[in-house]
Amino acid sequence: MTESKLSIVDLTKRYAAGLDPAVDRLNMEVEEGHLVALLGPSGCGKTTTLRMVAGLMDPTAGSIVVDGKEITHTPVNKRGMGMVFQSYALFPHMNVEQNVAFGLQMRQTSKSEQKRRVAGALDMVQLGHLSKRQVKELSGGQQQRIALARALVVEPTLLLLDEPLSNLDAKLRETMRTEIRSIQQRTRATTLFVTHDQDEALDMADRIAVMNGGLIEQFGSPTDVYERPRTRFVANFIGQANFLNARVLSETGSAAKGETHYRVSIDGLGQFGAVGAPGLTGSTHELVIRPHRLRVSLQPAGTETIAGVIERVNYTGDALSVAVKAGDRVLQAQMPTSSGDLPRAGDAAYLSWNEQDAYLLPTPVKEPAA
Amino acid sequence: MSEARLFKPRFNPAKPAFGILVFLLYLFLLAPLLIVFVVSFASNQYLSFPPEGLTFKWYEMLPEESTFVNGMRVSLIVAVIVTAIVLALGVPVALALDRFEFKAKAAVQSFFLSPLLIPSIVLALGMVLLFGPLNLNNTYTGIIIGHVAITIPFVIRTTLMSLATTDTSCEAAARILGAGSWTVFRRITLPIIQPGVIAGGVIAFIVSFDEAVISLFVAESGLPTLPVQVLRYVENSADAAVAALSVILILISLAVVVVVERVMGLRKALR
Ligand SMILES: Nc1ncnc2c1ncn2[C@@H]1O[C@H](COP(=O)(O)OP(=O)(O)O)[C@@H](O)[C@H]1O
Ligand SMILES: [Mg+2]
Repeated sequence: MTESKLSIVDLTKRYAAGLDPAVDRLNMEVEEGHLVALLGPSGCGKTTTLRMVAGLMDPTAGSIVVDGKEITHTPVNKRGMGMVFQSYALFPHMNVEQNVAFGLQMRQTSKSEQKRRVAGALDMVQLGHLSKRQVKELSGGQQQRIALARALVVEPTLLLLDEPLSNLDAKLRETMRTEIRSIQQRTRATTLFVTHDQDEALDMADRIAVMNGGLIEQFGSPTDVYERPRTRFVANFIGQANFLNARVLSETGSAAKGETHYRVSIDGLGQFGAVGAPGLTGSTHELVIRPHRLRVSLQPAGTETIAGVIERVNYTGDALSVAVKAGDRVLQAQMPTSSGDLPRAGDAAYLSWNEQDAYLLPTPVKEPAA
Repeated sequence: MSEARLFKPRFNPAKPAFGILVFLLYLFLLAPLLIVFVVSFASNQYLSFPPEGLTFKWYEMLPEESTFVNGMRVSLIVAVIVTAIVLALGVPVALALDRFEFKAKAAVQSFFLSPLLIPSIVLALGMVLLFGPLNLNNTYTGIIIGHVAITIPFVIRTTLMSLATTDTSCEAAARILGAGSWTVFRRITLPIIQPGVIAGGVIAFIVSFDEAVISLFVAESGLPTLPVQVLRYVENSADAAVAALSVILILISLAVVVVVERVMGLRKALR
């Protein structure tokens, strides 16, 4: 077993007796040098988790292990972490240089060493020329970079970022996303990154922990959580998804990555091909299909298609989203746009998909009581 | 369009009227000060207005009037000690009130702010009765306890106001960067709330220096403060020496405020 940089074991936080835990027996292994995104809706326990790792908050139960050493009860100022807050939390009475030097002063680094490392950190965030500026004279994006420099200059054991981009405007957010990721990769700082924005997580992270109600619903690579969601919540929270209840009839062969091809029956629509974990035959599972993986054809084509009627068309220039009504279900699909004729509401449409793009969620749907 | 309302008309007849109103209000507030100032240079034998001639004799009298000199010394000693104590107590109390949730919070808060609501005469009476058996009447300790009680609300209020506008994640950031609690307080919290702390200290100093009622009850016979001496003086004689003294006191208060403002202002500019 490879030693992980950070292990979180059954970490639990209950703010008050009687309340539901804000973080509930959370487990996670983070590899050295990885950027892990804690992704989830507001209130799911991301900040609470991060603050426990930082040492700003005592867990109710569980343990935190860094580099093989248990630090669950190590005081916050002895953990050697670096953190960037949502509000940046720069010290308002110090200038840029003094802010960045603070952590080095706490470590009793020599004056000359401080000077050298502060200059290096400021260069890294491309703000070397602002070293004498007062904090309040900086723009949001600049404050963000200084906060990052202040956290990284101490070469922290872990870099913790709590929604660092949420106070920036959309354009700057994109730039900072790339910049934070490239700095993180250059410094190889093992990083926990809290966000509620799935694009941010997919774009930046090596691993994503999708959280919901204090639990990790899924922990995996961006492609894992997007292509192979373990729960309906994950499929819905990351990107858009169509859900269809499918009875798994039989295996039809083995697929890549240890998965299995199945024949499934969807009530009222017919039989189709799908893919999923082994051993699903006989039960009903939700079938997840991303809208842009649904082929829309305006003429009948092939056998395994769902015939329907276009209910709504949304044209955004780059893409065309259509809502197709089939029986009592409405499915979302995307079509490439062309400068020719576009489909209109009321037109007939036939939906089909590649077998590996229709994924059966591993947990069976509870059959309604007869 | 509603946006049109955002443009102010070029001439607003309310403006000069408002200016005049403000001027009259200031005049009303400052008139007593102006009169005291004028009277302190008047050669009238008794305190009265208008002046009959110009003189500096009231100012020349002040250093010879031992009651004033002694009173000034007592008042300064008391005010300095009171300010120090009230800052040392008030700032931690404000921090606790702002940062911690505890059961008796509302009670503690009202306890520390209550002296503002109780008439000083009631407080003073209570103190005399309490201090009697404790042998604290006519002692520095007695006066100082009394003054601390009435000035601590100011320090707590101004500090709380500064704390309310600070970002607690600054402290969290400093701790994560390796600072212990005391370092966080000294290097982060205190500098951030400094304006509120200083303002509270200045107000406490001036209020203590100015306080007459408690000092009168607690230490009239043994340790009279300057305001007590002034009261006594006015009872016995009716010349304008007290006016001269008042002008000096106003100048001292002004000097404190100006010096503090200058020092603070300078330091801010240097940072
Ligand atoms: N100091 C606190 N006291 C009580 N409950 C809290 C406190 N902080 C957060 N919570 C609750 O814990 C849950 C998780 O909060 P948080 O970790 O801040 O979520 P997130 O960062 O994912 O938005 C929420 O339900 C929130 O209301
Ligand atoms: Mg949060």
